[in-house]
Amino acid sequence: MIEVVNLNKSFGDLHVLKDINITIHQGEKVVVIGPSGSGKSTFLRCLNCMEDPTSGSIIFHGVNIADMKVDINVYRQKMGMVFQHFNLFNNKTVLENITLAPVYIEKKQMRSLRRRKLRGKAEETEIKSAKQIKEEANARAMKLLERVGLSDKAEAYPAQLSGGQKQRVAIVRSLAMQPEVMLFDEPTSALDPEMVGEVLEVMKDLAKSGMTMVVVTHEMGFAREVADRVLFMDDGRILEEGTPDQIFNHPQNDRLKDFLSKVL
Amino acid sequence: MDNFGQRVERFIALFQGASADAYISEILIGLQNTVKIAVLGLIIGIIIGTLIAAVRVMPKYKRLPRVLNAICGVYVGFFRGTPMVVQLLLFYYVALPLMEINASSVAVATAVFGMNSGAYISEIMRGGIMSVDPGQMEGGRSVGLSFSTTMIKIVIPQAVKNIIPTLGNEFITLVKETSVVSFVGATDLYVAFRKIGTSTYEFMVPYLVMALIYIVLVLLITALIKLVERRLRKSDRGR
Repeated sequence: MIEVVNLNKSFGDLHVLKDINITIHQGEKVVVIGPSGSGKSTFLRCLNCMEDPTSGSIIFHGVNIADMKVDINVYRQKMGMVFQHFNLFNNKTVLENITLAPVYIEKKQMRSLRRRKLRGKAEETEIKSAKQIKEEANARAMKLLERVGLSDKAEAYPAQLSGGQKQRVAIVRSLAMQPEVMLFDEPTSALDPEMVGEVLEVMKDLAKSGMTMVVVTHEMGFAREVADRVLFMDDGRILEEGTPDQIFNHPQNDRLKDFLSKVL
Repeated sequence: MDNFGQRVERFIALFQGASADAYISEILIGLQNTVKIAVLGLIIGIIIGTLIAAVRVMPKYKRLPRVLNAICGVYVGFFRGTPMVVQLLLFYYVALPLMEINASSVAVATAVFGMNSGAYISEIMRGGIMSVDPGQMEGGRSVGLSFSTTMIKIVIPQAVKNIIPTLGNEFITLVKETSVVSFVGATDLYVAFRKIGTSTYEFMVPYLVMALIYIVLVLLITALIKLVERRLRKSDRGR
């Protein structure tokens, strides 16, 4: 589904990612662990080109999305991303946060469809009105909010939510785009301990529904329970990868052993 | 002080005498021009300033943003580097005659005020945009919105909220700076009162009243800005 080939990333003189090669398969749950500064967040952010790779390619849908000529926005619509600091739109309500992008993008598609139809190039397809698009998006958003237990917060602003609630809304915002893969960048690191559980619950739920997920986290319990494959990164390289059992119970690499002795 | 009382009485008498209507309409025209130039100038300035600020914060690996950025640099350099009066004179007596365009002095003044405040507002706006958490842009980009869409829908509205007080400052400056439009022969508040002064050989009271009108104008604007600010703070906690 996502194929990473010889990915390198430098920030100035700092070589953060060194020749990363990995393939993420449909429906797979990949958890990335490692000490801070190991490059795991940068790796994740390169997957949807939030950071532009210095060299190498990211193949998604058969296209190298690291190529600057590619319209990255189209591919990002299929890759949800959840951030450590939520990054909800502060000037929009919860509902608007969720529906803003889907409504905007669908309206744009409808406009171009209508133009094509006017020129007689498109076959008879249903053209939805702006109102219809919005209503459908709202209904979908409410259903998703219900799924994460936040339907009563639809009209609230992000500033009125707790950290855990914000992160659940952020997950819903990504899901509203109906993505094929979800990227999680330390989704629980900025949360109070008591709120970590509610977010992990939503993520586990999502994993069960068969979503492809790449998760950077320090939650070893989550990695053990949900991951199909765990990657251990240090110093910009993937030093070891395997099933949770292999990584946590039979680590081979010395640095991984050292890391685990500190975090477990 | 006795003298002052007489002068005030004479000034008030002006508005009861034969040519009262002429004086009043003069002042109203002046006031109208002052407000018109300042308000339209501010609106034009906000539009120009926002566009320039957006160009300046654009990522610059492609060619077009770099070219635009250079143009904006020259623009801001010119309008911040020369006095407003000089710009006014340049446009009214040099640029427009060269292009053979006839325009009223008020129109030219409005345009120059707009372009001038655009240069200043661009820097205010850039500061505002940079004060918005970069995560807001990332959040928008992560769901597949383009740089410009995220800018327009997410970042700029939050930036505007942050810069309202400074923008208010700019507006007040504009209102007061309008007094330079007399250089190209437009009637503003200052010109209206100067005319009253010259026709009566009495400047003390007219100029005092003029100052009062400016102060009232600025106080009104200050109240207006507070109102706008409160409305925009809706999405903050404790609304």
